[in-house]
Amino acid sequence: MSVNDPFTEGLELGWKVTDGASLTENQTIEADVVVIGTGAGGGTSAEILARAGLSVILVEEGGLYHQKDFKMNELTAYASLYQDGMSRVTQDGAIAILQGRCVGGSTTVNWTSSFRTPDETLNYWANQLGMGDLTPDAMAPWFDGREQRHNIEPWAVDPNTNNDVLRQGCEQLGYAWQIIPRNVKGCWNLGYCGVGCPTNAKQGALTTTIPGALANDTTLIHRLRADRLVMNQDRIDHLLASAMSADGVSPSGVTVTLKARHFVVAASAIGSPGLLLRSDIPDPFNRIGKRSFLHPVNATTAIMPEKVEPYYGAPQSIYSDEFNFKEGVDGPAGFKLEVPPLHPAMSAGVIPHHGQKQIDAMTNLPWTQSTLALVRDGFHPDSPGGNVSLRGDGSPVLDYPISDYLWTGLRKAFGIMAELQFAAGARKVSFVHMDSDWYSSWAEASAALDKLPMEAHRVRLFTAHQMGGCGMGRHPENSVVSSFGEHHHVSNLSVHDASIFPTSIGANPQLSVYALAARNSSRLASKLTG
Amino acid sequence: MTQPSSCPDTPTDVAKLDRRSFLKTGLGGTLFLGAVSTTMTLTGCASSPSERLPAVGTRMDARYQFRFLTDTDIEIFEALLPAILGPSLPEQPQSRRLIIAHTIERMDAGITQFGPANQSELRRLLDLLGFSLTRITIARVWSSWPDVTTGEAEAFLQRWQNSSIGLFNNGYMALVKISNVAFYGHQDQWHLSGYPGPPQWAVEALPQFKNA
Ligand SMILES: Cc1cc2nc3c(=O)[nH]c(=O)nc-3n(C[C@H](O)[C@H](O)[C@H](O)COP(=O)(O)OP(=O)(O)OC[C@H]3O[C@@H](n4cnc5c(N)ncnc54)[C@H](O)[C@@H]3O)c2cc1C
Ligand code: SF4
Repeated sequence: MSVNDPFTEGLELGWKVTDGASLTENQTIEADVVVIGTGAGGGTSAEILARAGLSVILVEEGGLYHQKDFKMNELTAYASLYQDGMSRVTQDGAIAILQGRCVGGSTTVNWTSSFRTPDETLNYWANQLGMGDLTPDAMAPWFDGREQRHNIEPWAVDPNTNNDVLRQGCEQLGYAWQIIPRNVKGCWNLGYCGVGCPTNAKQGALTTTIPGALANDTTLIHRLRADRLVMNQDRIDHLLASAMSADGVSPSGVTVTLKARHFVVAASAIGSPGLLLRSDIPDPFNRIGKRSFLHPVNATTAIMPEKVEPYYGAPQSIYSDEFNFKEGVDGPAGFKLEVPPLHPAMSAGVIPHHGQKQIDAMTNLPWTQSTLALVRDGFHPDSPGGNVSLRGDGSPVLDYPISDYLWTGLRKAFGIMAELQFAAGARKVSFVHMDSDWYSSWAEASAALDKLPMEAHRVRLFTAHQMGGCGMGRHPENSVVSSFGEHHHVSNLSVHDASIFPTSIGANPQLSVYALAARNSSRLASKLTG
Repeated sequence: MTQPSSCPDTPTDVAKLDRRSFLKTGLGGTLFLGAVSTTMTLTGCASSPSERLPAVGTRMDARYQFRFLTDTDIEIFEALLPAILGPSLPEQPQSRRLIIAHTIERMDAGITQFGPANQSELRRLLDLLGFSLTRITIARVWSSWPDVTTGEAEAFLQRWQNSSIGLFNNGYMALVKISNVAFYGHQDQWHLSGYPGPPQWAVEALPQFKNA
């Protein structure tokens, strides 16, 4: 149970880390490669490129927070570690978007579930989308490598009650369930992964690849926002970036010009297409920002006879894929079943009520179990995803219409989740929906569900998995980058993050991002050093 | 900065628009009305953060400096919180007043991190509720906010929650979400949800909690 903090030690050793808010003069800096974004994709890329002997500058819009700052406090964490202080939503406000904005990106706040890209998804990319180089066999060594790097193993400790209810429900109903592999080392089983791991047990970018990069020839500048890639003829000449002021959100007026031979964009879905759109990167077929995916999430809550304490213990340790690919990879919308951790601020923000109804739900928190469904989007013609565009101030916004195809999947998921909770002994169950009551039997819940409107703003929807918008593919007519993340039109530009997925993943995405970024960075490193 | 008294309470051209045509969506669920804010800005009547003194004795050292919420916004939330939080608020007037004041300060602190785009969405929602013409015609709240009863606030929340217009549902979510998070999420209210806080043994074992 080591609690050595790699950042504190590294900073003492002289790691090159600059807080953009401390800059007082415009400046120009240069390296072999500039990597934009320090999350799953950016961290992996920086470490591999730096270990190959290249000089790297890592640019991060959010701040640097590490163990000293992680005090298991929701309000400070949501304000400092999440995009838009946790207020990010889709354009019409119907889907709440959870996304990281700090060194380590979403991996600093994610829940540590670590799945390989499902074979069904890789085979779909290979067979339907023509990317034969991404078959399960071809990707296996990259998953192996990343599982080692991030210490990914099935969780060996008993699941907390919140997760165990999902297991029990599956057992009762004869549905498949499995133990979730997690990227942790010496985990204290606390349950605060979503607000920054206080023990450094989580093996996200912040404790693995970013220290690995900084130990080599890498400079990290945080609170520096990449504004625009500037082209000179057919290549990117430099990146223009704005330093943030001490509040972390408003630009200070200081600009930094970053020059490099190659630029790796890893600002994630929404962020990466936003940067490419601001930069007027050649896009003859209007592909940038299109096909953005979310794994739209709906949830049910149950009051259990025993205490659940859903705020304690590894947040996710049990899942069920019973309904994920059952009706075919491109059939009706499939979904993966998991549970969310529930702390008071998160719960209060998710439950769509006020007054007595809100109080009743909050008072029962210690007995509350919640189940969620991650709906697999992007595999069916009726699920084309959303579209990222720019607001007047240049910030990206995602328009994500919810098709009837997805509503059908969401309604089915509501029913299955309630059924599972009753099978596990729930006293009463409620759909996270503006019009839902509490129901005391599966029959009652199911009858009520038939009448609940499946509509934006009535159903509370979430996403912690943003994907696509710079999709990979073989043809420039329908993709932005190649299956190696190389931009189709600009030779010194690559994209190494979740934005390159041509569909959603059908599983929590971090390991898919790590593995593809590792593969594509290794190739890039040999090109640049060759 | 205080608003010059010559500023109209409501921009005149807003009155000419029908209510659907100038509602625009956005944020957390927020809703809104570009016309009002824009006109107010152009006429030099843009609202500025409240310089209101916080509830006496709420802070040990410094007094809270509002960075986003205006005097009118604060009046709106002072009227809405008793309905949003309901019986979770204490009856005793002094502690009730303090908790409401603290919650509004925390909401302001949270909004500071929303970033410019979502802040301007929220500004439009609050302006819509704040200007008397739109308060009356769109939110259908007849009294000015300091005079709104808890019953009236409750009726307003229900109208927006149950409306068949998604924009109003969205505005409802925005208002209750920032209020509920700032209230139930804070240590002082953890007892209401039976949340014991981070495990004490871990707090004692971890270096970042030492000499704090
Ligand atoms: C609460 C939560 C829980 C999650 N749980 C899991 C889980 O259990 N398992 C799992 O597999 N996945 C989980 N995820 C998702 C997973 O973490 C992401 O899919 C993954 O990190 C995406 O990697 P990425 O490199 O695309 O982006 P990120 O890791 O998000 O990194 C992108 C970075 O780019 C920065 N950036 C954006 N724009 C700019 C700009 N203009 N200039 C500079 N920097 C910029 C951002 O601030 C951010 O730090 C979770 C996510 C969240 C939010
Ligand atoms: S459960 Fe606790 S110790 Fe383990 S990774 Fe999550 S936050 Fe860290």
